[in-house]
Formats: sequence, C-alpha cells, structure tokens
Amino acid sequence: MPAFDYRQAKEIRDAFARHQVRYLFIGKSGAILLGYPDTTQDADLFVERGPENGRALVHALRGLGFSLTDTQAAEIERGKDFVQLKNGPFDLDLVFAPDGIERFVDAWSRHVEVEGFPVCHIDDIIASKAAANRERDRESLQRLRAFREYWLRLKDHSG
Amino acid sequence: MKSGETPPREELQTSAHEFADLDIPREWLEEFEAAARRPLAVRMRYAFIKTYKPVMDDAPYRSFETMEEYRRWCETNLPRWLGYARV
Repeated sequence: MPAFDYRQAKEIRDAFARHQVRYLFIGKSGAILLGYPDTTQDADLFVERGPENGRALVHALRGLGFSLTDTQAAEIERGKDFVQLKNGPFDLDLVFAPDGIERFVDAWSRHVEVEGFPVCHIDDIIASKAAANRERDRESLQRLRAFREYWLRLKDHSG
Repeated sequence: MKSGETPPREELQTSAHEFADLDIPREWLEEFEAAARRPLAVRMRYAFIKTYKPVMDDAPYRSFETMEEYRRWCETNLPRWLGYARV
C-alpha cells in the first residue's frame, strides 16, 4: 500500500464534512499539518465519542472504502478507545480517548484549521505524546517542543 | 487563512533573526523554516512514508477497549525496537 498523501487527507476531510463527523487530526500527522517537519506512517484521528458521531463516522469510513464488518462497525460506533484500520485505501488510527487529553470538547475549543483540516493544538499533541510516554516519542518530543515555540511565534506574526 | 494555520513563510514578513531569541538549535530552526516555505501538499509528500512494521501491519483491523489495553498489547506483542514500549 502506498504512503498516505494529501489527496487522501482531503478525501477524509471532505467525507467527514459531508457526514458531519466531529474529529481532529492528532499525533505526528497533526503536527505535520501544522508545519512540523518529520516523517510518519499513518494518520491519527481523535474522534468525538457518541452514538450520532459514531454512526456518521462509520458511514464516512465505508464511503471512503474501508471494509468494516458489522461487528467492527459496532465497535467504532461505540467508540472503543483505540481502533486501528488497515482494511481500507489507507491506514488510519482512530483514537477516542487519547492519553493526556481529558475531553474532546476541550481539544476542540483549542483546535486550529489548516486548509479546512481540523487539527489539535500543538499543546494537545505534545500533551498526548508526553502522556503516552513511549520510547519512540522520547527524542521527538524535544524537537516537537522546539517546534511549538517556533509555531507560536509564527502565529503571533500572522496575527 | 484561518486562525492558527501556519502561513506560507514568504507571506510572513519575518526573518531568521526574529527567532534568534528562541531556544531552538540552529539545525532545527532551519528545518522549521524550510518546512514553512513548502505548501501543505509538498510537506505531506515528504512526511508520510510507508515501511512494513512487523506484527503491527499483519492484521487488517484491531481495536482496544482502553488505551492501557492497547499499550500493554504493544509491549507484549511488538518487537522492542519499534519503540512502542513505555519508558
């Protein structure tokens, strides 16, 4: 399977918008949307848990070409904490309860938009990675925190 | 441009000295500046790569009731060198 790309990101954005799915890009893919230069494999989406949003999400995913059994669809609708999808046109991680973030509504209140992509604030991306406390994030967290300073300064300049 | 979006670098009317007071290693700062000059589509082309991750990539679907369950699964099942274990 080829790497995730801009066109696929737009497909997510447009399909989720059509179905009114409430979600945010999070993790390194979110940071990359904000301008952070690094590499990653998958897109990570923080999705608001709730029956209506869950149903909308399943419709959007099926429309994008993900092959979900009824059991899998039910798990996604229910909002299990973490769902890993490799059964569609690209890989996708769905996170309903990321480490380090209390509630979706809080992250939503801080989120930023990049070309119509809803993205977690850099502080939430960092908080989530810090709370996960994984070996693979140890080095990148230092660079991500440096990027945070740069990004905030850029935001100041752009008004 | 919407609030919070990183604007294209050429639109910013800033220069490197405006970041000089930030405690950022020069090499990283240059990388951030270079990324800010690129359109999002190009940034994404450079950023997303696909390499096979053993075990992780071997199932088309996985789900976990809790993040703790997912973290434990990673620590038990994935090769250590993938880096998914907690510190």
